[in-house]
Amino acid sequence: MSYLEYTVRNVPAGPRKILYLNWPLLLLLSAVACIGFLMLYSVAGGSLTPWAEPQMKRFAIGMLAMLIIAMVPIWFWRNMAGVAYGVSILLLVAVEVFGTIGMGAQRWIDLGFMRLQPSELMKIALVMMLAAYYEWLPMRKISHPFWVAVPAMIIMLPAALVLKQPDLGTALLLVFSGGGLMFLAGVHWAYFVAVIASGVGVVTTVLQSRGTDWQILKDYQYRRIDVFLDPASDPLGAGYHITQSKIALGSGGWTGRGFMQGTQTRLNFLPEKHTDFIFTTLAEEFGYVGGISLLLLYALILLFCIATALTMRDRFSALLTLGIALTFFLFFAVNMSMVMGLAPVVGVPLPLVSYGGSAMLVLMLAFGLVQSAHVHKPR
Amino acid sequence: MIRTPLRPLARILDARRKGENPDAIERENMHRRHEEMRGRARVQAEGRLLILGATFLMVFVLVGGRMALIAGSEPSEPRASAAGASIRAQRADILDRRGRILATNMETYSLYAQPPQMIDPGHAADRLAAIFPDLEREALIEKFTGKRKFLWIKRKISPEQRQAVHDIGDPGLLFGPREMRLYPNGALASHVLGGARFGREGVHAAEVVGVAGVEKKLDSMMRDPARGGEPVRLSLDLTVQAAVERVLAGGMTLMNAKGASAVVMDVQTGELVSIASLPDFDPNDRPGVSGGADSPLFNRAVQGVYELGSTFKIFAVAQAMDLGLITPESMIDTKGPLKWGKFLIRDFHDYGAEMTTSEVIVKSSNIGAARIAQQIGVERQQAFLRDLGLLDPVPLEIIEAGGSQPLLPHRWSELSAMTISYGHGLSVSPLHLATAYSIIANGGRQVRPTLLPHQGGPGGKRVMSRETSAAARRMLRRVVTDGTASFGEVSGYAVGGKTGTADKPDPQGGYYEDKTITTFASMFPADKPQYVLVVMLDEPVETTGPEPRRTAGWTAVPVAAEIIRRIAPLLGVRPEIEPAPLADITLTSSN
Repeated sequence: MSYLEYTVRNVPAGPRKILYLNWPLLLLLSAVACIGFLMLYSVAGGSLTPWAEPQMKRFAIGMLAMLIIAMVPIWFWRNMAGVAYGVSILLLVAVEVFGTIGMGAQRWIDLGFMRLQPSELMKIALVMMLAAYYEWLPMRKISHPFWVAVPAMIIMLPAALVLKQPDLGTALLLVFSGGGLMFLAGVHWAYFVAVIASGVGVVTTVLQSRGTDWQILKDYQYRRIDVFLDPASDPLGAGYHITQSKIALGSGGWTGRGFMQGTQTRLNFLPEKHTDFIFTTLAEEFGYVGGISLLLLYALILLFCIATALTMRDRFSALLTLGIALTFFLFFAVNMSMVMGLAPVVGVPLPLVSYGGSAMLVLMLAFGLVQSAHVHKPR
Repeated sequence: MIRTPLRPLARILDARRKGENPDAIERENMHRRHEEMRGRARVQAEGRLLILGATFLMVFVLVGGRMALIAGSEPSEPRASAAGASIRAQRADILDRRGRILATNMETYSLYAQPPQMIDPGHAADRLAAIFPDLEREALIEKFTGKRKFLWIKRKISPEQRQAVHDIGDPGLLFGPREMRLYPNGALASHVLGGARFGREGVHAAEVVGVAGVEKKLDSMMRDPARGGEPVRLSLDLTVQAAVERVLAGGMTLMNAKGASAVVMDVQTGELVSIASLPDFDPNDRPGVSGGADSPLFNRAVQGVYELGSTFKIFAVAQAMDLGLITPESMIDTKGPLKWGKFLIRDFHDYGAEMTTSEVIVKSSNIGAARIAQQIGVERQQAFLRDLGLLDPVPLEIIEAGGSQPLLPHRWSELSAMTISYGHGLSVSPLHLATAYSIIANGGRQVRPTLLPHQGGPGGKRVMSRETSAAARRMLRRVVTDGTASFGEVSGYAVGGKTGTADKPDPQGGYYEDKTITTFASMFPADKPQYVLVVMLDEPVETTGPEPRRTAGWTAVPVAAEIIRRIAPLLGVRPEIEPAPLADITLTSSN
C-alpha cells in the first residue's frame, strides 16, 4: 500500500508533529553519542580538544538536521529519492575527478567548512532509492528477472565507483545493505542463493589472482586478509591494529581499568584510536560491562527501528526504516568484528562514536528520515 | 493462479435487478483482493524480517561472546617491549670461538623532520647547526620552510646528540630507532668480518645488510628469524688474532713491507684460528672501494694470489717420496744451471753436482726440485696439487673467497711442471698454502679450511702416506735447524717450515729485480704438528745489514718466529723443555 492511499487527515500536522517524534530512539542516539564524547575526551588525554568538542558540535548540527528532516513529510523525501541518488552518483564521480587524496585513498570533496565523503551520502541515497523503487514496483513483478536486474544495477553502480576510490569496506557495505533491502522487499530467495554462491566463487578467484598480472585487489588489501587469517604473522606490521586492540580488550577485563585509565590508547600503542578503533578504548576503560552496554544500546536502536517499521502502513516508509536500520547494523557489526579480530581490517567507523564528520552527519540525516516516516504515518 | 473476477456477472446482474450500484461490488472485491495481497505480502515480509532479526541476534551473540572471551583472557600487559626486543635481535651477533663478541648491534637513533609540524624552523635550525657542526643553518631553514613534508637530517646520532635535539623541544623533529652494527674490537679481524650497512630504510627501522666478509656470506643466516638471534660463532680466537695482527704489523714496519698477511690453521680440522691481512680497516667506518690490490679492503690472505716460491718444493719432494721415486737419502743431480730449451734454471748458490733429497729442501735448490718434478711428470703433479687444494678457489665462509681462484699456466708443459715445483708459474693465496701445509702436517689427509668451529674434522681423503708426511716434516724441521730458516727457531716449540722468496712479476712483463714476496710456511711442533702458520710479506726490505736483504729467511721468518713465540702459549701448545742434566745427587745411606 502506498501513502497515496491513506488520507493525509490522519497524519499529525503543524507543531503537534514534535509530540509524535520517536522519542526513545532520539534518546538512544543521544546516549550513544555521549559515550562517543566521553571516549574522545579520554583518548585526547582528558581534553575536549582536538576531538571531543568538534564532535559535539557536529552532533548538535546533526540533531538539528535530523529534526528538520523529521518535520518534512515522508512523501516529500520519497519524491526526492531519485534526486538524492543522482546527486550522490555525481558527487562520487566528482571525487574521482578532483577529490582530495587522504590516507592513500581518494574519498573526499573539500567543501571548505567540512570534507564531504560522498560514499557516506550514498549509503542513505541508495536505501531511499531502493525503498522508492519497491514501493513503485507492483508486488507481483518483484521476482521477475528484469525487475531484479534494475535494483541490482542501482546497487552496483555506486559500489563500483566507491570500490574504485578505493574503499573496499564501504563498497561491501553498500552491496550488503542494498542486497538486504532487496531481500526484505521480498525478492525470491533463489536469487540470493545464486549471488552468494557466485560471491564465494569471486572471492576464490580474487585470492587466486594474487601475485599474477591481473591481480584484482591492492597488495595492502591482500595483506589485511593474510593478517586477518593469522594476526600473529605480522604483529608489528599490518597485524599491529588487531594485536594491539586485542591486548586492549584483554587488558580491560570484565570491569575495565576505569575512565581515563587505559594504557594502550593513552600510550599511543594504537593508531586510529579516535576513529575506527575507538571501541578498544571503551573496552579497556570500561571493560566487558562497558562494551556489552554499548552493544545493548545499539540493539535497542535496531529494535525501535524494527518496531516502528512494523507499524508503517506504506512500503516506502517501512523499507526505508528497515534499510537504515540494516545499514546502521552493518556499520557497528563490521567495526566491532574488525576490532575483535572476527573480520579483516576495513575502514568502517563505529557509528555515532568514532570521530568523523561525514559518518556522524549522514547517520543523523538517516535517522531524520526514520523519524519523518514515524511522524507521518496515519494514526 | 485462479483469480476471482472483480465483476462476477451473476452478482452484477443480481445487483442490477435489485437496483444497486454494481460498481460497489467491484470496489468491494477490489478491496478484498488488496487485503488478501497485503496479507500475503505481510506474511512474507514478516518471514523475511524474522530472518533479518535472527541474523542480527546471531551477530550480537557472536560479538558479545567474542568480547567475553577476550575480556576473560589473562590481561596481558602491552607487548610492544617484547616485540621490540625481537627487532633488536634482528641480526645475530658474531662471536669468536670462546664466545667473545666480534660484532654486535647497538641501538641508535636517526633524526628526521616533519616541517609542517615544526613550531619555529629558524630556532630549530640554529640549534641543530650548533649540535651538528656539519649541518648548515641556511640549508636547514630552506628545507624546513620548503614544501617537503618529511626529510632525513641524520641517519645515526649518539644518545647525547639525541638528548640535545630533544631539548630543542620542537615537535617537528623526530627520532626513529636505528639498529647499528658495531664492531667493538675496531680493525681486529676486519677482513673476516667485512662490514654491514643499512639496506632498505624506513622511519621506524632499517635493515642491516652485510657488505663483505662473513657478514655478507652468512647474511641470510644471521638475519634468519628462525634462529632467534642465536649468535654465529667463528673459529677465530680473538686473543690469538690480536697477537698475530700486532706482531705482523710490527714486522711489516720493521721489514719496510707494503703489505702482509698471516694464517693460523688447525691442521686436524682446518679451522682458522687467525687470519690477518695488512693494511686493514675499521669495519665500523668502512672506507669506500678503491685502490685494487693496494686498498686496505683487499684481503691478501684470501684474495691475493702470489707465486709463493720455494715453499712449493716440499710438495714435489713429498709426492716423489710417496710415489717411491726417491727417498730422503736419494742423491739428486743439482749441477747447474739446468738448461731446458731456451730457459735456464739457477740456484741462489752453487750447491755442487749433487745432494740428498733432504738437502734439496734444506738448502732450497731450484734445480733439485725441477729434476724431481721431471721424474713425476705433468699429469701426476697436477693431480697431486689438486688434491692439496692448490688449483681451486678456497671454500671459505667469507664472500671474498670466491676471488681466490689460483692463476694456472695457460699450457701446463713439462717446463711449467719444473718451475711450479719451486713455486713459479702457479699463483695461490697464503690460505691455499696453509691448507696444503696442513695436509703435510696432519699425516696426509685433506682438510677444508673453515671459519666455523667444529665444521671440518679429521677423516678427509688421504693424499699421501703417513710415512711420507713424517719424512717431509723431518725435512722441514731441518730447514729451521740447519737451513734457510734459522731465525725460525723458537725454543721449546720445534718449529718446522719452508721459506719462499719470489720476485714479483712486473705488469710490463718479466720480473722485478728488487721487489719480492717472501713467505714462511711453518708448522709447530714439527714432530706432532698442531698448527700451521703462514706468514707472507709483500715487498719487504731488511736494511740492518750492509746491503738490503729481501729473502724470506731475513724477513718473513723472524716475523713468523715472533708470532709463534706469542701465540703458542695462547693456543695451549706446551713447550718441550730439554731436560736439564741431572745434578750430582749422591744417594747416601744414613749409616
